[in-house]
Amino acid sequence: MKKCISVFLLVILIFSIALTGCTKENPSGATGEQNGAETTGGESGTFKAQITFNGSSTLAPVISAIATDFIEEYTTWDKVDSSFPAENIAIYVSAGGSGAGVKAVLEATSDFGMLAREIKDEENKKIGDPRAFTLGIDALTVSINPENPLTKIRDDLSMEEVKKIFAGEYKYWDEIDSSLPHREMVVVIRDLGGGAHEVFQKSVMGDTDVREDAIQAPSMGALVTKVIENKDAIGYASFGMVNQNKGKLIPLKVDGIEATKENIASGLYKISRPLIAVKKGDLSPEQQAFVDVLVSEKGSAIIEQMGYVPMN
Amino acid sequence: MYKLIDKIFDTVIKLLTLFSLLILVFIIIFIFKESIVFFKEVSILKFITGRKWNPLKSPTDLSILNIILGTLYVSFVAIIIALPIGVGTGLLLSIYTNGKWKVITRGIIDILAGIPSVVYGFIGLLVIVKFFEAVLDFPTGESVLAGGILLSVMILPYIISTCSETMDNIYKENLFSSEALGTSKIYMARKIVLPESKKGIIAAVILALGRAMGETMAVMMVMGNTPISPKLLKRAQTIPSLIALEMGMAEVGSLHYHALFASGLVLMIMLLIINIIFYYIKKGIHVR
Repeated sequence: MKKCISVFLLVILIFSIALTGCTKENPSGATGEQNGAETTGGESGTFKAQITFNGSSTLAPVISAIATDFIEEYTTWDKVDSSFPAENIAIYVSAGGSGAGVKAVLEATSDFGMLAREIKDEENKKIGDPRAFTLGIDALTVSINPENPLTKIRDDLSMEEVKKIFAGEYKYWDEIDSSLPHREMVVVIRDLGGGAHEVFQKSVMGDTDVREDAIQAPSMGALVTKVIENKDAIGYASFGMVNQNKGKLIPLKVDGIEATKENIASGLYKISRPLIAVKKGDLSPEQQAFVDVLVSEKGSAIIEQMGYVPMN
Repeated sequence: MYKLIDKIFDTVIKLLTLFSLLILVFIIIFIFKESIVFFKEVSILKFITGRKWNPLKSPTDLSILNIILGTLYVSFVAIIIALPIGVGTGLLLSIYTNGKWKVITRGIIDILAGIPSVVYGFIGLLVIVKFFEAVLDFPTGESVLAGGILLSVMILPYIISTCSETMDNIYKENLFSSEALGTSKIYMARKIVLPESKKGIIAAVILALGRAMGETMAVMMVMGNTPISPKLLKRAQTIPSLIALEMGMAEVGSLHYHALFASGLVLMIMLLIINIIFYYIKKGIHVR
């Protein structure tokens, strides 16, 4: 009996020691007070050779591509700027959704959070001292399968029609135009809580609910695949994905406005969302160096290559 | 000296066991803690009897009856499909095969259990869903039936191994007397092995049910994830796929976030009940 108690006490002891380690760490990088225009040579104490990103699965491949390019070009930090130590550059990107990006910043598990939507006021308040960088814009296009006979009669839907389709007021294709076959519309959406749907809800649906029996695709890739595979499907594919799969699905004009780079950048095309990298507190010089690349011409070129519209 | 080593060994083993138990306790406490926030706002009864799930709207629109039903429905469909196949294979394995063939067949069936569920989901998406759309001309292939067919393949190994284990024992026990009486194998299979292994089959069903209800990825890929009340040829959603789908997007600390934990808690309680039933049935088998 005694032994039992001693074993138990021992375990409690071990756990209490282990759990004391779980207090919140002060976010690193906030100590870089004197990074005023590179007057000081090197802040050796606070230098971190790795930068971590977490968040939106839309933005992750973009950052990843730019990071790969960046690392290939410089390899070590001292080649980026001679005041940095000669350590290998390491940039880690992981995807878990826009919500996870904010969470990672809040809990300081990542340096940057990636969002494919506006930062909510509430989130801004929670972060306290956010630094946000809008890298580009992604638009959602209302896309259909190329075999859909609708493509032959018109390439345009009005906002009202789009709304009615997604709300379930139109159930069959012949309700839009009587020459279309009497086939059920297959509405594909992203999950209701996600960033993409939030944008669509806000800019198209307003207060109306999306029909309950719409298919919720687990990723934008799955949504696009569904539209490519099913000839009665209609869904809001992202502009980037449509460009990557040109010809396999047809984006429709909304209110006569085509989803082109110019229209999206000028804000004429309404169904769009910003791609944002956000950080809590000031950036350390090495983080600033990478962000500079993100918003540079070269970064913008990669963003464009991936099918999104760069900000700069 | 040996006594000391013995003692150290004894302590280490106890510590490790306690550690794994504590992990379970921590997980339960964690999920409970996260979901209690939600239950303060919305009553439990409302949460599991309401039919509407819309995280964008007011908190009262977060209830999961449709999703619970979807989870149960697809699991039962899977079991109805898998049970006859599983029991038949079990019978074949324990009565008609022996030696090398038994080992090989069992090995192959066990490999079936080792295939990652994403791969199953992928096959389901490209074969089953596609088949429904192309050949049967459904507007969409995503349906409870598609999920059920896919899940039935995934739970088959569990049903087969549990069944054939019981049947093996019964067959061996009765082989001598049955041969002495000169009955045929098929007679023995029908009149002795099958009825006697009833409990084993029930245990297999319950084990498979638990497994089917917890499956996430494959089901998410072929069910369409629509929180409406489930019908065989229509889309539906299960609790695990709901959590997997929305957890990444939910704002931390929001009611939606806690509601997902709460639905995890509901699933865990359902699985716990199933596991307890499984334990008692299994205990019954060994007592006999």
